[in-house]
Amino acid sequence: MKTFMGYPRPDGSAGARNWVLVLPVQRTANLVGASIGKLVEGVKVMLSPGEEGRTKRDRETIARTFVGLGMNPNVGGILLIAIEKKFSYPELAHEYFLNELRRSGKPVCAVVVAEVGGYYKALGEGVRLARELVNQVSKVHRQPCDIGKLTVGTKCGVSDATSGMVGNPVVGSMADQLIAQGGTYMFSETAEIIGAEHLLVKRTANPQVAEDLLEAVRVTEEKAKATGEDIRKINPIPSNIAAGITTLEEKSLGAIAKAGTTPIQGVLRYGERPPGKGLYFVDAWMSSLSLPLCFAAAGAQIVLYQAGGGDFPDPYPPMMAATSGIVSPLMFLTGNKHTFRKAQDNMDFDSSRALGGKVTVKQLGEELLAHIVDVASGTKTKMESLRHEDPVELYLEGPTL
Amino acid sequence: METNGLKLHSKDNVATALDAMGKGSKAVVSGDDGRTETIELVEDIPFGFKFATQDISPGAPIIKYGELIGVASVAIKAGSLVHIHNVEGTRGRGDVPPQGAKA
Repeated sequence: MKTFMGYPRPDGSAGARNWVLVLPVQRTANLVGASIGKLVEGVKVMLSPGEEGRTKRDRETIARTFVGLGMNPNVGGILLIAIEKKFSYPELAHEYFLNELRRSGKPVCAVVVAEVGGYYKALGEGVRLARELVNQVSKVHRQPCDIGKLTVGTKCGVSDATSGMVGNPVVGSMADQLIAQGGTYMFSETAEIIGAEHLLVKRTANPQVAEDLLEAVRVTEEKAKATGEDIRKINPIPSNIAAGITTLEEKSLGAIAKAGTTPIQGVLRYGERPPGKGLYFVDAWMSSLSLPLCFAAAGAQIVLYQAGGGDFPDPYPPMMAATSGIVSPLMFLTGNKHTFRKAQDNMDFDSSRALGGKVTVKQLGEELLAHIVDVASGTKTKMESLRHEDPVELYLEGPTL
Repeated sequence: METNGLKLHSKDNVATALDAMGKGSKAVVSGDDGRTETIELVEDIPFGFKFATQDISPGAPIIKYGELIGVASVAIKAGSLVHIHNVEGTRGRGDVPPQGAKA
């Protein structure tokens, strides 16, 4: 059995990090949560995106994301902040989160603003509880854990020709090897399987998965057509076109290589936890502000960002998207040698060597998996040395009313 | 001769430039079947962009990865840049009634 050095959790999962998650479950509790995040070391804060005027479907997505983040193996303890026990919509009730998160067996504490005597007192009580949790959680030490307990999600972004030729194939090979060792792997970006769905459908584990996959594509393509625009004016994004990608179909055919070659076990909603091991497709928006959070809520300890970057300026490329999965580190890799050179202060892995044919895609997939095991064992990704986080955006479909 | 173009599938009618190549130069294209062909480029091809490996008629499919990636909107000569100026997508077209490739 191959192992990584992880934090064992009461539910049998294994963390790559050891955070305390601070979770204001209603928007008006954000002030308390954000303030605790500034004062207490060792915590990560997931702010509420605001629940008012949202449909049941979107409120459920918010709730699923919150619970999922708390259940993520990288979280050792959770501090809930609520305004009142019966405040806001039933899907976002204090009791619901308390019950769901306690099922993890991890320590869960809560501050109810109305019960402790208002915001200022809630802040003090929150700081006290968060510090207690951090000290308690720090008593969990890393130990060898089965590599099969790893879940990885991949977003591909700023795609160019190298993405389809080597970048995504190397990630796909890694996924095959992780799954062969009992691991779980997710890919997403429904718009970016349009034109390649006929290839994915052949790999679905059963007819229901095939139907779900085709339905996800149908709904997304209908949304695209309803805009009245050629989708090429939206996706491929300008950066893709400037780097030589011509149509959405071309982008999709390159993008699906990150899914490897194993059977697709299911189609998940945003932030939904996979019910088993193996390969899963998540029906969601491709945004780099949104997808790392989705994967983390679904249980990924590590999120990969496979970049093309063919149109990056030289020598001053843009800072890569700096939104992690809140509790799960983001790791950048590229199959473009120019991008790796230009953005080396953000890039963790270079897949471009497969293009010369000197190293095979499979060998680089093995190297990538070894690198992921290192990161899962505590090695920091380049992005983890940066404290900035762009705002995260849950994939909420509206309408807002 | 060093390969500087890559054809990802034997059915493809486009290849991807592995280096920036100038008009008039000869691209040495290797295929997934191990075959190599030489294409004279009729315009500059930047790194990562595609060029036609054969003449393509208007409305004909553009094939990469052995799959349809779009259709030619005009006649494309072998060795020409293949990109948004001469290829239309066939999916997610909210701007036109449904259309398919005239294969």
